[in-house]
Amino acid sequence: MSNFGFALEGAWKVLAAGLVLGAGLPVLFALGIRSLAWGADAAAPRPAGKALAYGLFAVVILGVLLGLTYIVASGFGKTISFDHFWPAIVDK
Amino acid sequence: MTETTVILALVVITALGFDFTNGFHDTANAMATSIATGALRPKVAVALSGILNLIGAFLSVEVALTVSNAVVRIQNSDGTPKEALTSDGGTALLLIVLAGLVGSIVWNLFTWLLGLPSSSSHALFGGLVGATVAGLGWAGVNWNGDGSKLDGVIGKVILPALMSPVIAGLVAAVGTWLIYRITVGVAARFTDNGFRWGQIGSASLVSLAHGTNDAQKTMGVITLALIASGEWTDTTNIPFWVKASCALAIALGTYLGGWRIIRTLGKGLVEIAPPQGMAAESSSAAVILVSSHLGFALSTTHVATGSILGSGVGKSGAQVRWRVAGRMVAAWLITLPSAAVVGALMWFIGDLIGGLGGALVIFLILLAAAGYMYWRSRRTPVDHSNVNDEWDEPAERREPAGTAV
Repeated sequence: MSNFGFALEGAWKVLAAGLVLGAGLPVLFALGIRSLAWGADAAAPRPAGKALAYGLFAVVILGVLLGLTYIVASGFGKTISFDHFWPAIVDK
Repeated sequence: MTETTVILALVVITALGFDFTNGFHDTANAMATSIATGALRPKVAVALSGILNLIGAFLSVEVALTVSNAVVRIQNSDGTPKEALTSDGGTALLLIVLAGLVGSIVWNLFTWLLGLPSSSSHALFGGLVGATVAGLGWAGVNWNGDGSKLDGVIGKVILPALMSPVIAGLVAAVGTWLIYRITVGVAARFTDNGFRWGQIGSASLVSLAHGTNDAQKTMGVITLALIASGEWTDTTNIPFWVKASCALAIALGTYLGGWRIIRTLGKGLVEIAPPQGMAAESSSAAVILVSSHLGFALSTTHVATGSILGSGVGKSGAQVRWRVAGRMVAAWLITLPSAAVVGALMWFIGDLIGGLGGALVIFLILLAAAGYMYWRSRRTPVDHSNVNDEWDEPAERREPAGTAV
């Protein structure tokens, strides 16, 4: 395969994962903000809104932690494997 | 002290100088959006980014010595220099590296003077390619790899540069569009604070990733020079002082802040609002980390610029100054060849004079060029106090002439 083929293959994967993490996580974060606002109705507070918001923020924070783990792991010559769905730190 | 030792010292100083320009050139990639939206005060933003770059650089425990192998053939696959270049005590290789670094720094400073966010890795690779072509001929450059993987100047530098801004732009545009959809009608007291933290978090990830990726390149180059001159033999570790000095140089450069470039990215392309800032930096962080995970080397600069443009495209009614974007793309296209031409020229001058004298002359040329560009920059200074001033270039999406008045 030529360089162009490899590059297209890489680009496709980067775009897919980039959309999931780079657009998906901010969307969850925005949903969290929305439900936080929904839960904080001055007249009739809705605890469910707050709970949902914190749940969404927690998912976003997990995503950020995954990014942090990857940065630290790659500094030590390791990488993150998704072979068993759950991320695991393995040798590069 | 032998001649080679002095040349080696010049190479190390020049490499650290490059690392420093790498830092201040790229502050904007992480922090331009947070500064433009006021999520962080300018000084706080550059300090945070500088600290994260420092930490990131120290996190690079396993440093690849083969950074130059993607583009030039001056090293064996284990990171040691080619024997042919070390027969004279290493000066042949040192001159190539020195000339290449001078080419990279000169181009980095020139684009900084113009306020253009060009890629520091392109400048580094360009300088090395130019000096290698001058020193070893066209065959010394790894243009297209061997076809077994993404490699060579085409595969590692040019193709990713064409694709990465588009990918990052798409991700940021989708993110921006959805975020605006979701938060429409939500009270400002929720969105302002939320998006502020979203921006700071995503920008911090970009800074940290930058420290781990970019400082490594200089560490690899310095260690290569040390091995070439016989001062270091271990190809699996790098000296601690190299790591510490590279980390400090990139962090100081980041803290100094390339305010001219921050201004162009933060104010020049798009008027950025907090949701766009968060979408842009999240896109940058995700694309940089994912691509480095897949071994698809991208330039942080191209990704960040693409993301910011995308955040302008994704917000309906936002103004995108395509003329500024066009100027940036033009700078990207000529970065590699321009740094290469300077690198080649420096090698010819250094080789003509020869030995220590040649190395000293090109080092002095670098100092003169850097001093001149710094002096020029003082005519129209940009710093933390005026980085967010209104961009006075007319935006393109104006009312058509004749509709008003």
